[in-house]
Amino acid sequence: MLVNTRDFNLAPDADDLLRRCTRDAPQGELKPELTQSMIEINTSVHTHYPALLAELRATRDVLAGHARKMNVALAGGGTHPFQKWSDRKIYPTERFLAVSEKYGFLAKQFTVFGQHVHIGCATADDAIYLSHALVRYLPHFIALAASSPFYQGVDTAFDSSRLSIVNAFPLSGTMPLVRSWTEFNRYYDRMLGLGIIASMKDFYWDIRPKPEYGTVEIRVCDTPLTVDRAAQIAAFAQALARCLWEERTIDITPDLYLAHSHNRFQACRHGFAGTLIDATTGRARPLADDLRETLRLLAPHAQMLGSQDAFAALTETIDQGNDATWLRRAFAETGTLPDVVRHQADLWAASE
Amino acid sequence: MTAPDFLPAWPPAANSFLIFGLLLLAGLAGGRLAATTRVLPAITGYIATGFLLGPGVLGWLSESALAQSRVLAEFSLGLIVFDLGRRLDLSWARHDRWLLPMGLAESALSFIAMFALLRFVGGIDMLEAAVAAMVGIATAPAVVLLVTNELKAEGPVTRRMLWHVALNNIIATIGITLMLPFIEARAWGATWNPIARALWLIAGSFLLGYIAFVLMTLLARWLGKSPVPQFLLAVGVIVATVGAAQIARLSVLLALLVLGACTRNLDRQHRLIDVEFGRAAQLFFVALFVLTGATLRPDQFGAVAWLGLAFVIVRLVGKAIALYVLAWPAHVSMRQAGTLALALTPMAGLAIGMTQPIYDIAPEFGAELAAIVVSGIAILHLLGPIATRYALIRAGEGEPRARD
Repeated sequence: MLVNTRDFNLAPDADDLLRRCTRDAPQGELKPELTQSMIEINTSVHTHYPALLAELRATRDVLAGHARKMNVALAGGGTHPFQKWSDRKIYPTERFLAVSEKYGFLAKQFTVFGQHVHIGCATADDAIYLSHALVRYLPHFIALAASSPFYQGVDTAFDSSRLSIVNAFPLSGTMPLVRSWTEFNRYYDRMLGLGIIASMKDFYWDIRPKPEYGTVEIRVCDTPLTVDRAAQIAAFAQALARCLWEERTIDITPDLYLAHSHNRFQACRHGFAGTLIDATTGRARPLADDLRETLRLLAPHAQMLGSQDAFAALTETIDQGNDATWLRRAFAETGTLPDVVRHQADLWAASE
Repeated sequence: MTAPDFLPAWPPAANSFLIFGLLLLAGLAGGRLAATTRVLPAITGYIATGFLLGPGVLGWLSESALAQSRVLAEFSLGLIVFDLGRRLDLSWARHDRWLLPMGLAESALSFIAMFALLRFVGGIDMLEAAVAAMVGIATAPAVVLLVTNELKAEGPVTRRMLWHVALNNIIATIGITLMLPFIEARAWGATWNPIARALWLIAGSFLLGYIAFVLMTLLARWLGKSPVPQFLLAVGVIVATVGAAQIARLSVLLALLVLGACTRNLDRQHRLIDVEFGRAAQLFFVALFVLTGATLRPDQFGAVAWLGLAFVIVRLVGKAIALYVLAWPAHVSMRQAGTLALALTPMAGLAIGMTQPIYDIAPEFGAELAAIVVSGIAILHLLGPIATRYALIRAGEGEPRARD
């Protein structure tokens, strides 16, 4: 998110920032987003966590440098704590204007910020398998990345309020229980034929296959407060996908989705303190415990992939609290939401 | 037979309340009419209303009524200039090395252009031409801030515009102050302690602004960061600083700009909230512009209008050339440079007390100066707000339908 340095409200400077970055473009890609205070940072394709982290840090430094010259700042976080959605300006591209026309006030309310992780898949059927199997772990991603406790000037009592805004879209939720790429295509063609969708982009699912990239895209994460956390979450996704793909520990059954809404809500509302229900075993346990165990089980995969540092940092996060905890602490210390955003911006731009 | 003593005197004399109320209502009507055009900003409506009601046309607003309302204008300017000072983020100039050179070049080039026009084309005396050109450097802070608020404008051009306005007002005020000893020498034939006068005005105004800031932060530490007490604190400190500057015969403009700039740059503990003056301030702004309009006379558009018009044009060209030339190294797009130059058009040098010290020491010189620049200012009172409004909308930063 782009904020001004006067009252730390959102600043509609995406266009200018992107224009300036064309002269010393970092690796990957920078794009406009739905409203003019948002930019999308795409990294290039990575197989190793350290390289991803280095690229993200370099991109951050370029962006922060330009932002300082423009007298604006960038910050992480899933929502801006106090912006008024009705003040937002739609970025004037054909697609975004069409989205605005189609969704009315939801478009401006969608000035929320998320991290999407793409995982490359060998085959289309693998992508379908992973899209289902990863659902079991969506609450873990939500809790790890949660950074939107404040929205429209109030503490929502949620760790991630952002996903409640995504829920308002008619095609949000999860992919239907299709078991193969052929089955998925049948479903897709029907939706297309009925005129409900025009492309894959119209599905606002928590996780979806992305055929043009050959990936599965995890979309539930709030944008973390730092690029380091963003890279750690990507490393977690990579190790998890490797494990699921190799070991096929998750059976794709309706049970997988039975408790999903409950678990997802628990993660959004309570973060690590939420409760997870396993519909297969009927067991309920704290999310933090399940996440710790997951990290332990994935440790060999993390080692193979060179992501031990990321896993160590994530384990520490479970003990010390996620970004939502950090933001609430900042508010308790400073007393005003503009001060919280100021701290957020300082944290995002801080070089290691 | 005499009238009973419980009845009011006849004809009834207007008091300050009645004048203020009627100014507001008349301004409101003018602003509303301007809004219906979809092109004119509300300010143009306020100014036109004042012009019509003032001594120049209908004469419903008498000279004494104007004098009674002067306090309103001073208070409004205090608020506006303080707000402008808050936009003067000095750390920005540290990060963007071209920001300050661009501001200085814009001021310098427009000064040279205006001076050359008055001196060599208009044949005006060197000192008068220099002072008039110095007045012309400044962009009207009230106009740009009000148009910005009206359009809810925000973005790179708006941010730069307000920074330039703050800077060019400081440059113009200091420049005029430095010329005072020369004016005095010519008026009185002697230059007793000329440096002391300039020092008193500049250093005194800076000091007053700084002291007000220190008091403000001390009180803020005690009050905490609640919005309502901080709002009252800001208004209280601003009004008191305006009063103190008047008593001490310092520059109200400079003292309030310094106060605003200090709150932005020196409040290291972040004790002050960026208070929004909002609707409360709007009351005074309407009155300010109706009053400004009332100072205009139809004949100002006549006699020396060609020189006034040329003055306006070379001023704009001077600013535009500086901004265009430095745009590339400063990473400013040509489109942004153009809209920025246009947005800096409004000028209200005489109305904001900048030239008051000249009247204090040499009233005749002040009157001559007024005659030179007044037609330029009169033209810009009408065109300036329109230019700023158009520029911010063109830059894609103002919402034409934002006004409420």
